[in-house]
Amino acid sequence: MFDPTAPEFEQRRQFLRQLTAASVATLGLGAPRLLSAADGQAIEHPVATADSCILLWMGGGMAAPDTFDPKRYVPFRVGTPVAEIESTFPAIDSVVDNIKLTAGLEHVAQVMDRATLIRSHVLPDLGSILHSRHQYHWHTGYVPPQTVACPHIGAWMAKVLGPLNPVMPAFINIGQRLEGVGEQEELKAFTTAGFFGSEYGPLNLPFPEDAARSVRPPEGMEAGRFANRQKLFRRLVDQSPQREYLSDFQYQSQLRSIENAYRLLSAPERAAFDISLEPAESFAKYDTGRFGRGCLLARRLVENGARFVEVTTEYVPFLHWDTHADGHTTLQRMKQEIDQPIAQLILDLESRGLLNRTLVILASEFSRDMIMEGKPGSNANDQTTEPVEALQTMKHYGQHRHFTGASCVVMWGGGVRGGQLYGASADQRPFVAIDKPLSVTDLHATIFTALGISPQTAFEVEQRPFYATEDGKGQAAREIFVQGKS
Amino acid sequence: MADFDTAPRRSPSDREGQTVSYFRPSQFWPHASWLGLALLCLPGSVCGAPADDVDFAHQIVPILKTHCIKCHSGPQQEGGFSLNDRETLLNGGDSGPAVVLRDVAASELHRRVTSSDPGDRMPPEGAGLTAEQVALVERWIEQGLPWESGFSFAPSSYEPPLRPRRPELPAGDPQRPHPIDRLLDHELGERQQPLPAGISDEVFLRRVTLDLVGRLPTPEQWAEFSSDPSHDKRERWIEQLLDDEVAYAEHWLTFWNDLLRNDYTGTGFITGGRTQITAWLYQALLDNMPFDQFVRELVAPPNAASAGFINGIRWRGEVSAGQTVEIQFAQSIGQTFLGINLKCASCHDSFVDRWKLDEAFSLAAVYSERPLELHRCDKPLGKTAQPGWLFPELGQIDPTADRATRLQQLAGLMTHPENGRLTRTIVNRLWHRLMGRGIVHPVDAMQSPPWNADLLDYLAVDLADHGYDLKRTMQLIVTSQAYQSQVEAVAETATAGEYRYAGPRAKRMTAEQFLDAVWQVTGAGPTTIDAPIQRRLPGGPSQPSSLAAHWIWNQSDATQSAGGETVAFRYRWELPSLPVTSVAAISCDNSYQVYLNGQKIGQGQQWETPDLVSLDGLVVGQNELLIVGRNGGSGPNPAGLFCAVRTIDSAGVVENWGTGSGWEWAAVTEAESSGAATPPAVAGPWQAAALVEHAGIWAPRVEPLAQALLDRGQLGIAAHARASLVKSDFLMRSLGRPNRDQIVTERPQELTTLEAIDLSIGETLDGYLQHGARRLQQQSWESSTDLVRWVFRYGLSREPTAEELAVLTESGDAVPSTQDIADLLWAVIMLPEFQTVR
Repeated sequence: MFDPTAPEFEQRRQFLRQLTAASVATLGLGAPRLLSAADGQAIEHPVATADSCILLWMGGGMAAPDTFDPKRYVPFRVGTPVAEIESTFPAIDSVVDNIKLTAGLEHVAQVMDRATLIRSHVLPDLGSILHSRHQYHWHTGYVPPQTVACPHIGAWMAKVLGPLNPVMPAFINIGQRLEGVGEQEELKAFTTAGFFGSEYGPLNLPFPEDAARSVRPPEGMEAGRFANRQKLFRRLVDQSPQREYLSDFQYQSQLRSIENAYRLLSAPERAAFDISLEPAESFAKYDTGRFGRGCLLARRLVENGARFVEVTTEYVPFLHWDTHADGHTTLQRMKQEIDQPIAQLILDLESRGLLNRTLVILASEFSRDMIMEGKPGSNANDQTTEPVEALQTMKHYGQHRHFTGASCVVMWGGGVRGGQLYGASADQRPFVAIDKPLSVTDLHATIFTALGISPQTAFEVEQRPFYATEDGKGQAAREIFVQGKS
Repeated sequence: MADFDTAPRRSPSDREGQTVSYFRPSQFWPHASWLGLALLCLPGSVCGAPADDVDFAHQIVPILKTHCIKCHSGPQQEGGFSLNDRETLLNGGDSGPAVVLRDVAASELHRRVTSSDPGDRMPPEGAGLTAEQVALVERWIEQGLPWESGFSFAPSSYEPPLRPRRPELPAGDPQRPHPIDRLLDHELGERQQPLPAGISDEVFLRRVTLDLVGRLPTPEQWAEFSSDPSHDKRERWIEQLLDDEVAYAEHWLTFWNDLLRNDYTGTGFITGGRTQITAWLYQALLDNMPFDQFVRELVAPPNAASAGFINGIRWRGEVSAGQTVEIQFAQSIGQTFLGINLKCASCHDSFVDRWKLDEAFSLAAVYSERPLELHRCDKPLGKTAQPGWLFPELGQIDPTADRATRLQQLAGLMTHPENGRLTRTIVNRLWHRLMGRGIVHPVDAMQSPPWNADLLDYLAVDLADHGYDLKRTMQLIVTSQAYQSQVEAVAETATAGEYRYAGPRAKRMTAEQFLDAVWQVTGAGPTTIDAPIQRRLPGGPSQPSSLAAHWIWNQSDATQSAGGETVAFRYRWELPSLPVTSVAAISCDNSYQVYLNGQKIGQGQQWETPDLVSLDGLVVGQNELLIVGRNGGSGPNPAGLFCAVRTIDSAGVVENWGTGSGWEWAAVTEAESSGAATPPAVAGPWQAAALVEHAGIWAPRVEPLAQALLDRGQLGIAAHARASLVKSDFLMRSLGRPNRDQIVTERPQELTTLEAIDLSIGETLDGYLQHGARRLQQQSWESSTDLVRWVFRYGLSREPTAEELAVLTESGDAVPSTQDIADLLWAVIMLPEFQTVR
């Protein structure tokens, strides 16, 4: 397991230091520069309660009433008016008395004592519901379009905190294909470090089972040849008649990056990417599908010093959580896919002593509702593909409208108070947030604060300050944390 | 329990000896000082400074800023004392000198900040300096008052000139008469700085070829150029590159796509909120459209083809008032053409330059079809924007005119002969691309002072004087001795302080240059393109070349040719050298077989659909093309043969020829025509073929198809796609090709670790290398030395040194295996020398 106190870690940190110094120096022209607080003093970062962060992304709009915020359960019956249906799953108990979940989340229910469950996360309508645009907003904290390419929150952590283990990329993105899926360009637009530059961008691992291939030599090249090729390169560099220019930092930083890449590609941490090395019994607990295996990969990476890892159920238009029809049946499958792996992830992190320093977040770009699109008073177009007044078939049974009035976020570990409910949605439709509404800006402030990043952190880009939370205004919801409550 | 612990935590960059305490622009912080400070805040300025050295930027400036400059900077000089810069500080004020260098006790400044007399102490109000701050000031005085060169607390009075200015050229060295050299030599002379050394022909060749057309010079071009003894070969090579319209267009397309945020795929296209200008742009580059016309067609599009730029990206749903398409228009026009950043002013009056909210909205209102209400920070102000533009001293827009007229007027003002901002902005961008750093830098902050105003103004005026010909400006730059000089070896610390010209700077290859180069060396890469354009022939004439063939048969009136008749047609010609590409489109009523130098190369049965045939098997010297045509049917009916040939030689010269008067025919008997793999043994006699008079019955159907076939065939065989013409892929994104949702004017100058991982193990690059290795392995090399030399000449435009050769031929002189070649290619393309334009 990754041990930050080990001597080789210090060596790597030295190495990283050189790398980063060079990166920053070269980028000097036109690169973002860290800004101070308004009074000219250094930014005061809060003390971190987490070193790593795992974001479990329920792409497509996870319906709160059918997952983490049960309302009145109305079973399927032909002829039932759609407007009478609130939840399509019955509520179940969790290990915490006042926290009920819905059927299908029985494993997760067992680890809610390590979690704060937020039921009042509110999102803007943006006039028209477009998943990728809301996802851009959620992942960067800024509503697109923007005049600069905004960094993903993972890139903020990579930029401000750097890697936890220098050989481990700081920002790893698991489970989302960026080619060959709908809205791929929109997904790429926020799956990026934006103006920070690709040094802080994601290592994309769309298929957890193939992740090992992302850190090993190309197909057909055995390790010996890979090492020899690197040696050949180094010897050529040493022989280069251009070496008199090696003071040129462009030159040096390129060589350092190549060396750094080679270091990861030959480091023992590489094994973390190979989930086939997981003992069979443990593997089986995660093996519910790509998302489950992604959770396993995330755990292995965090064990080896990953800073930020996102694992997604994958956003593909009209698939997975994006239930425009047949919602109930789809969610049965989705819950089956996420329930056990998430619970196992929490338990495994805990048993390895990592949960208290790892913030695990489950979130989605908005919620869903049986009848309401957007939120009360919104002009958003109804986008269900099965608009009926009363149930005729199972296809009509489920949360088929996009709802932005309240959604659920779950946070485990990393200093989070366990067994806690934060905020609430109304008991009666519309199920809007009625207590402690929490915006994306403030939620991000909360996350950044846990990681020890001031929500007011700003970088200068194009001569303007650009903040970690919009306009530097994010306020952390402090009572979510153990230390935050009086 | 108490709140969160907010003890300061130093950021990792601080831990690494980097700067951390930077400043942000604000109303309290005059903009010019902000810029000055931004420059000195570059990390190199404090890297490696001994720990006990006081850090002016991060330890002293905050103290002065908090306690002093309100009364002692800019126009504020209380007590006659100003600390705008080091000099004014040392001058002191009414109480005499403020500081005695290295003597704390004798320094009035120190006495004042530590005084216990409330009437004497500075600052007069508030708690004053802390003990730590006083200690820092003491150390600062002890160390001789270190100050960041060029830094001032005074607000800058600099406002760039708007109108063009014609600077006088210094006399200079008669041996270096080029206007750019006269200007730069003068600047270097003033500073008593040596001229940067010149570069060798091979360094020049690689640099200029990559800069102007984005490609590596081929080993053949390298050999020819290296051995050419003529004194004007550099000028001729520059002309040749600039005359290569296609290569030029396909290279500069990258720059313009970035600057006009045009792409083939991307956000906004999914919802129909965005359109491409690719076809227009490609044509404009091919034609080297004058820049003033180029700007006019973008600002006031004559038709939909160039409208995508000003229309921006229309997002579905609501967007903030600072991001409507109208505001996007103002921002894009301002940034791209004038180097003005209106992104601040779109939301509130700018803190960093002089632009105001209402000016940004006025420019937006020129474009707007609806009354545009001013919003400050997304809140409506109840005021409607009046259409107008940014430099009313040149004229103004009629706010009552309709939109089309307003845009026309804006286009006219933008390209007004007195608008020197337009020409300065574009020549500065070109200088930046070619020389590695802008004369004004960053290139989108044209309100900042240039490091050489004469140079900037000269280039700008020269552009206008020469019909806004951008190629002319490029030619002017690259023909200078300054361009043809050794790149400046920039040390990490050299980024601090004021920029001083010391020669060009090396540029990292763009993603597109890198891939084009890899595709050149390996012969790999796609052959199809994504850009929706009619691609012109690589190296071909500027107009698409047309067919040059006629319909022939054995008599001019072939309407009544005998059914079932078989006729052989032949053409014989001499080839002095082999063309790179040779293709033919053939149609025969009713069927044919075609042989080249005795080998069958094709056949066809449907005259309506001509066939594309590659003329494989041409030889230097005598060649013979033989086509055996057969008229179908049993009774008399029309017959004709059409064969259009296109060849391209290694210099890119395209030649079109085909069936016509030089051809001969002979009858083929039943016995002779049997056995199609080899040509019939035609006894003859051979007679001159006749051009048929009734070609109109086939030509309208066949010839357009034949034209298209040749165009396609020529491309498929001769030319790979350029990276600028294909949509961005994983590898290109990784190498810094931007997502073009925003305007981009600078590519990353640095290879990152994640990119290095992709280049080390990524399948895309590995595939190219394997392809290249297989291809090279099959070629006839005399030895591994021979192969290594070729790779170096192509990739690096030089011979390997003896030491390099020794490393690369260690395992013997036999031609290496495919694997070894792939590894050789990898090691060479990973060299910084390969990946930079230097």
